[in-house]
Amino acid sequence: MTLLQKILLALVVLAAVLPMVGVPQYWLYTLTIGLYYAMLASSWSLLVGYIGRISFAQAAMSGLGAYVAVLTGQLLGWPVVPSLIAGVVAAGLFGLMIGWLTLRLHGAYLGLTTIAFAEILRITVTAEHQVTQGSRGLQVRPLIEGAGPVTYYYIFLAAAVVSVLLMLALLHSRIGLFFQAIREDEDGTASLGVNVTLWKSLAFAASTAFAGFAGGLYAHFVQLITPSMMSMQEMGYILAMAVIGGFSNVVYAAFGGVILQVLLEALREMGEWRLAVFGVIAILMLRFAPNGIFGWLETRLKRKDK
Amino acid sequence: MQAQLDISNLSKNFGGLQALKGIDLSFQKGELVGLIGPNGSGKTTLLNIIGGYYDASGGAVTLEGRKIDGLSPSTLARLGIGRSFQMTKVFKRLTVLENMLVGALADWGLTRKAAEDKARGVLDKLKLTRLADSPASSLSGGQAKLLEFGRVMMLDPKIVLLDEPFGGVHPELKRFMYEKITEWNDAGATIILISHDMGSIFGLCRRVVTLSYGDIIADGDPETVRNDPAVLEAYLGDHHAA
Ligand SMILES: Nc1ncnc2c1ncn2[C@@H]1O[C@H](COP(=O)(O)OP(=O)(O)OP(=O)(O)O)[C@@H](O)[C@H]1O
Ligand SMILES: [Mg+2]
Repeated sequence: MTLLQKILLALVVLAAVLPMVGVPQYWLYTLTIGLYYAMLASSWSLLVGYIGRISFAQAAMSGLGAYVAVLTGQLLGWPVVPSLIAGVVAAGLFGLMIGWLTLRLHGAYLGLTTIAFAEILRITVTAEHQVTQGSRGLQVRPLIEGAGPVTYYYIFLAAAVVSVLLMLALLHSRIGLFFQAIREDEDGTASLGVNVTLWKSLAFAASTAFAGFAGGLYAHFVQLITPSMMSMQEMGYILAMAVIGGFSNVVYAAFGGVILQVLLEALREMGEWRLAVFGVIAILMLRFAPNGIFGWLETRLKRKDK
Repeated sequence: MQAQLDISNLSKNFGGLQALKGIDLSFQKGELVGLIGPNGSGKTTLLNIIGGYYDASGGAVTLEGRKIDGLSPSTLARLGIGRSFQMTKVFKRLTVLENMLVGALADWGLTRKAAEDKARGVLDKLKLTRLADSPASSLSGGQAKLLEFGRVMMLDPKIVLLDEPFGGVHPELKRFMYEKITEWNDAGATIILISHDMGSIFGLCRRVVTLSYGDIIADGDPETVRNDPAVLEAYLGDHHAA
């Protein structure tokens, strides 16, 4: 294990004991939201960092997972777990569709197309107010009746850890190798018999399924969802989190999510300026430390070993 | 006997440019064919169509009696067409070993351990063992060519398309590539070799096809082609009717 891996593992252990050492509820709440963003930032980096496809639909996919989970509960009377699964499946299928429809698009064209998909979805949810209550927001039953902040915190911690571990398992399998080969050179990968079309579509689906899961959990935690969770501003936060943590690694991106959410809360007085500040930081990171804080640390620590 | 790979009236246009002008060619199983021609004569374009990277503008390609027009490169690779690229397409941020594994692992029947053992064996022959765990971005041009050749070796293809595989490769390793090409061929594989390295072409191939401006201007045994005035003209002439 490298030094950085040890540090990150220690942080996870620290996170697990936080509620026991008397951290105020307010900060537990903040960290719980941070863990939601950790899942989103890491699921985004699963796509962008490994297979090299860009998407600005991650917040929208979280929203899709959330609305499907909530509505299957309200309209069809499904229990929480099946409705969460429905959200995951819906987001995964939508991602598969985006992935398949954008197979031949790259760079700016791909990015713009995913923005279009995200906005169509957000506008649809806003407009269908008989079903979704539009921008007034939809009341959501709690994940567990009567559960307190500590319970939610642990559920989100477990969900984030398990999500990231599942992503790592996928990425360390041969499928992860195919993803990275496709990122490096599509024709070269195809020449070796790897079904590039299939894996490009499935990478989208995997990434959005995790986002849908995060969204469903989030809905049942905050218990009121609005279409703003699908906005480009939310997407901006996710992007900044992944970039600042380091989107070439799902673990780094996850930590970026938690750290930035904590900073967002700590800098509350700055209001809307925070997004601008994080945007600038993200741009500077891309220029000077493209692998993010943790990617930068990784190379620094490696160099010291030698 | 039915040809293994049959190309009939194949044409390819890029805008107004006719890169291939309706060519007919067939290859029997187990042939070792050199494909030569001046820069821009259409050699790579032909390989790209056989491999499924480009759609033909007209004509047909048939593999063992089956039309393969419209099949994807990955499908064709799984049907046994392996290729290397003139401009190498190594996966720069993957290690040399990982580069080797991609093709082997595309076969789900093969375990990672088996694939790795096979890859290490090939890397050893290519004198790349020392670099197995380095990123492919650290390879020299010649080493990248060798790595690509190694990736093709991992596939055990029945048709091997090689586009300038020797560029920058050390003579000793070039000899290894010759041996491997001959060995593939002896085992029944069909080889189409593009090279500007005439020593390699005439040393290895029993048939040489010459392209010029998208047309086949010569096709025959090396001795005949070497002395064909049209071939000499194509290579040496500084003018050519458009
Ligand atoms: N993707 C493309 N788009 C436009 N024109 C192309 C494309 N690929 C090839 N061409 C053109 O087609 C013609 C044949 O090119 P090709 O690459 O097949 O030649 P070649 O025989 O492989 O040459 P070389 O020996 O230089 O590799 C050239 O005029 C080239 O400019
Ligand atoms: Mg060429």
